[in-house]
Amino acid sequence: MNTLTIAWIGLPFFVGFSIYLIPKLDKYLAIFGAIASAAYAFQLFAMPSAVTLELLDNFSVTLLVDRLSGYFILTNALVTAAVIIYCWPTDKTAFFYAQILMVHGSLNAAFASTDFISLYVGLEVSGIAAFLLIAYARTDRSIWVALRYLFISNTAMLFYLVGAVLVYKASHSFSFAGLGAAPPEAIALIFMGLLVKGGVFVSGLWLPLTHSESETPVSALLSGIVVKAGVYPLVRCALMVEEVAPIVQIFGVGAAFMGVFYGIFEKDTKRMLAFSTVSQLGWILVAPEVGGFYALAHGLVKSALFLIAGSLPSRDFKELQQKQINTTLWIALVVASLSISGFPFLVGFGAKMLTLKNLTPAYAIAMNVAAVGTAILFAKFIFLPRGGEAKKSKPGFWPAVLLLLGGLIAANAFDVQAYTLENMLKAIAIIGVGWLAYFLIFQRTAIKLPRMLEQFDHLVGFMSLISLLLFWMALPK
Amino acid sequence: MLEALVLATVFCGFFGIIFKKNLIMKIVCMDVMSTGVIAYYVVVASRSGWLTPIISKGKNVAYADPVPQAVILTAIVIGFSIQALMLVSVMKLARDNPTLESNEIEMNNTP
Repeated sequence: MNTLTIAWIGLPFFVGFSIYLIPKLDKYLAIFGAIASAAYAFQLFAMPSAVTLELLDNFSVTLLVDRLSGYFILTNALVTAAVIIYCWPTDKTAFFYAQILMVHGSLNAAFASTDFISLYVGLEVSGIAAFLLIAYARTDRSIWVALRYLFISNTAMLFYLVGAVLVYKASHSFSFAGLGAAPPEAIALIFMGLLVKGGVFVSGLWLPLTHSESETPVSALLSGIVVKAGVYPLVRCALMVEEVAPIVQIFGVGAAFMGVFYGIFEKDTKRMLAFSTVSQLGWILVAPEVGGFYALAHGLVKSALFLIAGSLPSRDFKELQQKQINTTLWIALVVASLSISGFPFLVGFGAKMLTLKNLTPAYAIAMNVAAVGTAILFAKFIFLPRGGEAKKSKPGFWPAVLLLLGGLIAANAFDVQAYTLENMLKAIAIIGVGWLAYFLIFQRTAIKLPRMLEQFDHLVGFMSLISLLLFWMALPK
Repeated sequence: MLEALVLATVFCGFFGIIFKKNLIMKIVCMDVMSTGVIAYYVVVASRSGWLTPIISKGKNVAYADPVPQAVILTAIVIGFSIQALMLVSVMKLARDNPTLESNEIEMNNTP
């Protein structure tokens, strides 16, 4: 298994660079890389215990793969495969597919590493490859959005590096486990870097513009899996070091509410989806033990939603309410929206119930409210008028969306215990309350929230505020 | 003392990123910041000694810790490639925004 793990980490990079040598086979090689990761993830689920790898000595690379990373790896494989299928008939160059595999490989590495330096390398490589994907269109706007993304994430990662060396100073190892003995400033700096990279809470305000202004398949990739590379280490740290778990959870609740609050007043489909990502990342963080399953549920549904939103006739909700959308497209949209709202028989239900079960009562109440907020958000999609004539959709669209929606149903197999009568009634009640609130209040509101905080300077400035907040939270009580 | 100077460099770079208006200056400030971070790794490595860590038959001397130095080498390479990418994209942006003021570019390119 050890050799297999190392081979699996290296494979996407090897295949990705081969694409440059054999550009004719680009799509086939890319999909091969994704399928190999999926096979490896299933292998992990079949294994009784976790695989731990320590290369050289205690101060070098340490890897750990278990069921938690298995969920993240599977999400990565499915989302990448769906994006490649979506782009299949388009005239994307070999460069595009090679970069997709680079993102895929670096995320795999990030999901397997348990030391700060391997993680740093994984995150930075994924950042560079994502930059190239965002800027693929080569327009001024796409270049600015990509530059802003790279700038913000690199500045955050510089703080992270300072935090990492402070951990090394305290425990002579870069392993996540060293965080327990590290001074509070180390925790503050490392977590600030990861919160920015993962787009959590206020640090995640870079995310709406980046995810909404990218091309459809790139948005799906970014929202479905790239941000999870920042979230996974937070979850892993919370599991390995007990002291930091409360910090992670509080940020989870904050993110869940902030995303929903901004999303409700959003008038643009893709921006609304991006804010919903911020909120859903909070759900992953709030219950670290079961965060992996939620990440799978969210990754599948969010990339499906971004692909569908790319095929809608307009991005503006107001215009969409005037137009009728094609019924088949509408059904796909409703299935995805119901899953993310937590409707039974779709994986979102199992994930939400499992998360709520693993919370203390105070957190559970807060997250139930956040769940109602999610139902309100997606009522906007569900109650769009349908019945319009079929607009010719892209040839790769249906296979990709069907793969993701099929995954939403099949992934229920991971959690069949959630299907009790009580849980189902609860889920339906949450959705009912959300829809009622939508009809009574939010359908008519026309408040426009200011976007000042999304400006570049404010995003950088917030890094210092968040690290001060984290420092105060990490101080030994 | 050395540590304080290095951290001052990091903060100089960070405040430069916020307060400088020109995009090129912002990138240069980020480079200053990363120089500070790299120097901090070297300072941490030199806590145990100054000499190059090479195994030799000679007497036991105080070696510098090789691990942070090895690690920061990766970060230098990554930082340099990111810098290069950023400067290329700034070159592209400069065609339509010759002054390169970041708030102007931001205003033109946000919906």
